[in-house]
Amino acid sequence: MIYAHDSLIVQTLSRFIIPLIQLFGFYVLFFGQYGPGGGFVGGVIIGTSLIFGVLVFGLDPSRSAMVNRVLHGDGLGLLIFAGVGGLCLIGGGEFLNYADLQIPGMELATRRYFGILLTQIGVATDVAVTAISIVMSLSLTEKNEEPNGPNH
Amino acid sequence: MTEQLPAIIFLVPFFAAVMMPMIGMKNQDWCRPVALTALAVMSVTSISMYAGIVSHGPISYAFSGWAPPIGIEWIADGLSGLLIMMVSLLAFVTVTFAGPATPAGIGGRIPYYYTLILLLISALSGIVMAGDLFNVFVFLEVASLASYALVGLSGGRALISAFRYLILGTLGAALYLLGVGYFYAVTGTLNMADVATHLPELLKSKAVMAGLIFMVLGLAIKMALVPLHGWLPDAYTDAPDSITPILAPLVTKVAVFALIRILFWALGAKTVIQDVPILLIVSWLGAIAAIVGAFLALSQTEIKRLFAYGGISHVGLILIGICLGNQTGFAGGVFYLINDAVMQAVLFFIAASVFYRHGIRTVTDLVHIRGQMPWTTAALVIVGLSMIGIPPTGGFFGKWYIILGALDAGNYVAVAAVLAATLLTLAYFVKIFEYVFFESTSVAKHPASEIPGPMKFSMGALSAAIIILGLVSDQVVTLILEHALPRGLIT
Repeated sequence: MIYAHDSLIVQTLSRFIIPLIQLFGFYVLFFGQYGPGGGFVGGVIIGTSLIFGVLVFGLDPSRSAMVNRVLHGDGLGLLIFAGVGGLCLIGGGEFLNYADLQIPGMELATRRYFGILLTQIGVATDVAVTAISIVMSLSLTEKNEEPNGPNH
Repeated sequence: MTEQLPAIIFLVPFFAAVMMPMIGMKNQDWCRPVALTALAVMSVTSISMYAGIVSHGPISYAFSGWAPPIGIEWIADGLSGLLIMMVSLLAFVTVTFAGPATPAGIGGRIPYYYTLILLLISALSGIVMAGDLFNVFVFLEVASLASYALVGLSGGRALISAFRYLILGTLGAALYLLGVGYFYAVTGTLNMADVATHLPELLKSKAVMAGLIFMVLGLAIKMALVPLHGWLPDAYTDAPDSITPILAPLVTKVAVFALIRILFWALGAKTVIQDVPILLIVSWLGAIAAIVGAFLALSQTEIKRLFAYGGISHVGLILIGICLGNQTGFAGGVFYLINDAVMQAVLFFIAASVFYRHGIRTVTDLVHIRGQMPWTTAALVIVGLSMIGIPPTGGFFGKWYIILGALDAGNYVAVAAVLAATLLTLAYFVKIFEYVFFESTSVAKHPASEIPGPMKFSMGALSAAIIILGLVSDQVVTLILEHALPRGLIT
């Protein structure tokens, strides 16, 4: 369990900073196809902002059902990644060959653009969730409470 | 559709692994059926892919549609098709076996167990099909990370072994990556076939030699080649009983497979036979491993530890066969690799069963199973005969082809090493059989208590597989000789 930071200055400042970090994270994520950046880096930045929030505002996992759900949701991002890749398979192309994404009324370049973007969103989700779930697992084991699964 | 099979084989267990935590959150009872279904689908797909390879030739899969030297290539040829079949079928049988023993051994972490197992299997299939040096590293790491977590899943003592495994395994992966870096710096490519075309004119380069040494060293740690085997006995002894049967047959053998791929496909058979003495070095290390491993097994009292050393010794035998540099030896080595995987699975099934029913951990306590566990005893006899190398089991024919290859190559040291390892294996199995059959016991007879159905099915299926592999050894070796050989081996 992580307690909230008791300094008003820190709390007030982070209210401004966290959205800015997240905005930058999304910028890196969406800009990744045309320049440096991409899903992994964007995910790390978004994950950092979440960890920052947890450290400043505290976290009591016993009160929040969402926390437990997040701990089991690591795979969601990978599912998006592999799912988009799998859609290319169904379209008749190789794994991750976005040219074969079957989206009606879309040009080849646009299809590739959205394919890359979707997989990168998957990667970013996974990295961010993994980062935050590591922090949560560590804060839980401190109390000798392991995130053993939903029925415990 | 056939040309998509490599990706499908990888994606089926991967999808299941990723979904497992979410399924487990809904209902833990669904984890096992989902995992078994995924592995069954994977097995069927890999069998149909191998049939396709045999009739239509190898499949080269270019990810994202980028052509090989630039893009990432996966190769499903006669060798990797065979190995994929072995990995998926063994995984299916082992997960079937582990069902009844699972919850007790791992402290209720059911979704994690199935997630990690499926992740391990998909990573192993990635190593087997990768046609690219860096991809081998990536999947080697995924497989290793899953294995570390699996070894430590029960907590307690196993955590220490898992940590040792983690340190040494990471060192191995780092060495391998360093080697790949040297190769990339010199050749400018990571694709194995492309490396093979660039290498002949670069053999004078010291960077290539250094890279090769680093790669072999890294993989030697991963396959627990003596004297780099320190992590394996502790890790396999302390790992939960439902997990050792899947780690022991697959993880080290797939590392051996990665070495085969690199030596004979990335470097090319001609290079390793004529220009670089790497085969000689590895086969000597294999000979040492075969004898030292068996010798260490002889002095063990714990059942799982004894079997773990037996596995170390058999990795040496496989390497002897493969590094002879001729076709018979190579086919024998690959055939023995498949046999050894099956034998290791059965051995750890037995270790798990005797503990599950009677709480037996040491060899001397095996007197208690006499007359109690007919299935387990029968499996022990069959796998014992195969480990020693007595016909008609698969182990005999594997050794037979390795010795034939060694005689062809005029390598009498290899013949002597195989025979010495055989005698030592005989010695430690005589020790086990003595306790099971001959040692007088003063213990009161319990009513006969056999293991539950799924465990019985898995143990019976794999024991039968040992004998069937022996009976069809001719056909299997012919398949290997026709479809799985690297180009340029001496006949």
